[in-house]
This record gives sequence, C-alpha cells and structure tokens, in this order.
Amino acid sequence: MIAQGLDIVTTAAILYAVATGLLLVFGVMKIINFAHGGLMTLGGYAALVTTQMGLNPWLAIPAAALFGGVAGMAIERFAVRPLYGRPLDAILATWGLSIILGQLITIGFGRGVQFTRSPLEGTLDLLGESYSAWRLALVPIAVVLGLGLTALLQGTRLGLETRAVIMNEDLARGLGINSGLVRFLTFTLGSALAAVAGALITPLSSVDPNMGVPWLVNAFMLVLVSGASLFSLALSCLVLGGAQVLVSTYLSPVLGGLTIAVLAAVLLRIRPQGFARD
Amino acid sequence: MTAPATNPPASANDTPALAVENLSSGYAGAVVVREVSLALQPGEIRAVLGKNGMGKSTLLKAVMGFLPKMGGVVRFEGTDATRLPPHRIARLGIGYVAQEKALFQDLTVEENLRLAVRAPDFAAALAEVETAFPFLLKRLRQRAGTLSGGEQKMLLMARALATGARLLLVDEITEGLQPSVIDRLAGVIRDARARHGTTMLLVEQHLPFALAVADRWAVLDRGEFADAGATTEPDAHARILRHLSV
Repeated sequence: MIAQGLDIVTTAAILYAVATGLLLVFGVMKIINFAHGGLMTLGGYAALVTTQMGLNPWLAIPAAALFGGVAGMAIERFAVRPLYGRPLDAILATWGLSIILGQLITIGFGRGVQFTRSPLEGTLDLLGESYSAWRLALVPIAVVLGLGLTALLQGTRLGLETRAVIMNEDLARGLGINSGLVRFLTFTLGSALAAVAGALITPLSSVDPNMGVPWLVNAFMLVLVSGASLFSLALSCLVLGGAQVLVSTYLSPVLGGLTIAVLAAVLLRIRPQGFARD
Repeated sequence: MTAPATNPPASANDTPALAVENLSSGYAGAVVVREVSLALQPGEIRAVLGKNGMGKSTLLKAVMGFLPKMGGVVRFEGTDATRLPPHRIARLGIGYVAQEKALFQDLTVEENLRLAVRAPDFAAALAEVETAFPFLLKRLRQRAGTLSGGEQKMLLMARALATGARLLLVDEITEGLQPSVIDRLAGVIRDARARHGTTMLLVEQHLPFALAVADRWAVLDRGEFADAGATTEPDAHARILRHLSV
C-alpha cells in the first residue's frame, strides 16, 4: 500500500515536471510544441555529458535548462514565429524539428542506450519502505517548480502580461503589451523546462535518442485536460498518473502505458474543459 | 475655422494630433474603409457616426494596427504610425477602447489597470481613476467580469484615462447603457479633455451623446465620409439623422 502511494505521488511529480513547459507554451501560443519530446531528449544528453565530464550530477539541471532554453529560442525565432497565424503549420514545424533534433543527437552520440549518474544514489527508508531516493526527491523538485512558476505568473509584471496574453492577446497588444516578446520568452522557458524534465528523468531510466517521444503523448493529453492552469495540471497528474500506477500494478504494464491517453480522451468526451474549473 | 471655446489652447505648431490620409483597410478580400482622410487638432473631440457595417469600427482597428492598411498613411503627432504593430502604437500614447471583449474578465480591476499603465507611478494613475470614477478604488480586488455592464464601461474609460494617453480611440462606449451612465461618461470625457487636452475620436451610434461631447462630427457611409461639420451648427442633428435613417 505504502509503496503504491509513493509510486502514485512520485509518478505525478514526474508527469508534472514533464508537462509544465508544454502547458505554458500551449496557454500563451495556443499550439502544442511537438518539439517538447526532442527537447527532453536534449536535456537527457545534457545530463549524460555532465556525467561523462565527471561533474557534480546536480549540474545536469542548469546545463539542461541552458541547452533547452537556447534551442527553444532558435525554434521560436526561426520555425514558430514565421508561422504566426497558422497554428497547424507551426505544430507540424515543431514535430519536424523534433525529428531533426533526434537525428542530430544520434549523429553526435550514437543510437545506443546510455546511463547517467543520479544526483541522489540508493534508497531512503520511508514509512517502513525502502524507496528510490531520487524518485522521492522529484516530489519536492516538482513542488518547487510549480510554486516558482506560480510566483512568476502571479507576482511579477511579466507574469501579469503573460496571463493577459493567455486570456486575450489582441486586447493585451492594444494596451501596449509586446505579445511577440511574451511568446518568445514563454517558448524559451517552456523549452528549458522540457530539457530540465529530461535531465530529471534520466537517472530513473536511460538515455537514448528517442527517450522523449513516449513522454510527449502523456504530457500532451495532460495539457489538454488541464487548460492553461498549473493547478489543474497538478490535479490531472495526480488523478491520471495515479490511475496509470494502479493499472500497471493490477492489470498490466502495457495497459498502464495507455491509461493516461485513454482516460484523458474519455474525460474530454464527458467534460470538454477537463480538470479546468470553467 | 476656429475651435470651440471649450478647447484648450492648441500647441504652437499646428501638427494634428492624429492625421489619417487616404486610409483603406478591411478584411481579406473586402475593402471596408476606402481612402478615408481626417485630421484631429490637439484637444479636439471628433464623433464618427454611421449605420452598422459602414466601417466605423474598422477605421479604429486600422488606425490601431489590428487590421492591415491597404493604402494610406497614419500619423500621430507627426510620427508615422502606419506600419507599427498595435503595442507600439499604444506606447506612442494612444488609448484604444474596443467595443467588445475590452476587459480581462478574469483579472481584477487593479490588474486591468496595471496592464494598461506602463508608467512606474501607479499611484498617479489611480488618482486619475479616482477623479473620474471614485467607486472603482473600492473595487480594486474585484474581478472585472463581476462588475455590472455600466461599471465595466466606466472601468474601460478609467483605464484609458489612467494611462495618460494623449489620443483616445473609443468604440461605442455608450452601447446598451442607461441614460444616467451615459451622462456620467460624457461628464468624465469633457472633464478629461479640459484637464489634459486629450484628443479623442469617438465612434458612436448615440446621437445626443455624440453632439453633447464632440466638437466636430463626421458620418461614415459605406467606408467613406459622406458628411461632416461642427456640432455647434444648428442643423447638425438633422443632417446626421438623414444619414442614419436612409
């Protein structure tokens, strides 16, 4: 029981870390960034390079943020911005870039599966269970991530302008807000968050050129049921992530892998706004 | 032609606050406004009237940069604003009050004001709001969407004035309002002009309001100005009505 509870909470934390960047970009730009998976892979390889250079494994997180952020700037400037007003084309462009990113990584690092060092090795004893220390650490990390982003959105001028662009971009522009800059900064931040998520999950699994892709589908569905709310996202990660853990444990891991996508689709059919309040 | 006595003294140079020359605009494939020209002197209030679909809102959206300009030039205080995006036009000192969806319904009154006010001195902006509509200062934490229709229009006007904009483009602020609220808005508009010399271009359907507030009027008919004059002329009412009723 306790092990399952921990599985649910840590799974939700991982999903939250993976999906926040996608949610921010979706809220502001109204497009799903399909390069999100590729950017996660980039973050995974940033962690790998950190390990190979023998650096402190915690440095993987800022390194991933840096690489992801710079890649995001380039993607926004040269692929997404020219397709402003053509959201479907913009989505296809990010999908194409994701493929290119994967291929570049393959050229650089090869196809093989590789492993990174974990910032926290071993296990922790919690409530009588011996549990992976890194998995547990991801819970406070996800909480800090959520609180930090909430503080940014609710407590700063840039956050207020970002919320304004999310709600009504034309109105924001008419009041003197440079929505193009808000879009650029949001995409940069969203890409950095994707890469950070990639670096966070690599100690749990392994690194390969397609590691981000399976995460993209779940993150995509979670964003669709959460609207543009960080709070709704936390809720959907807990509920749908919890369901995934239970199905994997009691039925089969294969069905578990489908749980989030199927439940999200059913939920959207019944309640189109998903977990969002209105 | 001399400006009405209520106008503050015009600045030494006679550069118009807003000059629109041969402006054409509209939506993909449909020209709505055709080669329209107008010049507003600093501190002038001009009412643009006309039936629905004659291009009044399109004119404001084109000036503001929301719609592409298919031809013509727009200058604000002599600065060419023809090719600028909306946020740059707003930052020149132009306040735009749209007819619909002009407030962030889910944000508070204060957040709506803060978004528009770029100056660091928010207290001064709030003082301006207090002068115009004191009740708003007690409602700063309230969500804008929970204000009544009339209160929302007053917040719109307050927000435009709080920015210190030197030119206001106002799209049918009186629509659906009670006479008492319309009178209140008219008083605030005239007071703002008297104190700051704010230039205004008001798109209106409400004829008594337009004649009471504006110095000059113009009628837009199928995207072109069909008639214009001073609101002080005795036949203004009859001439405008003729265009509105045809």
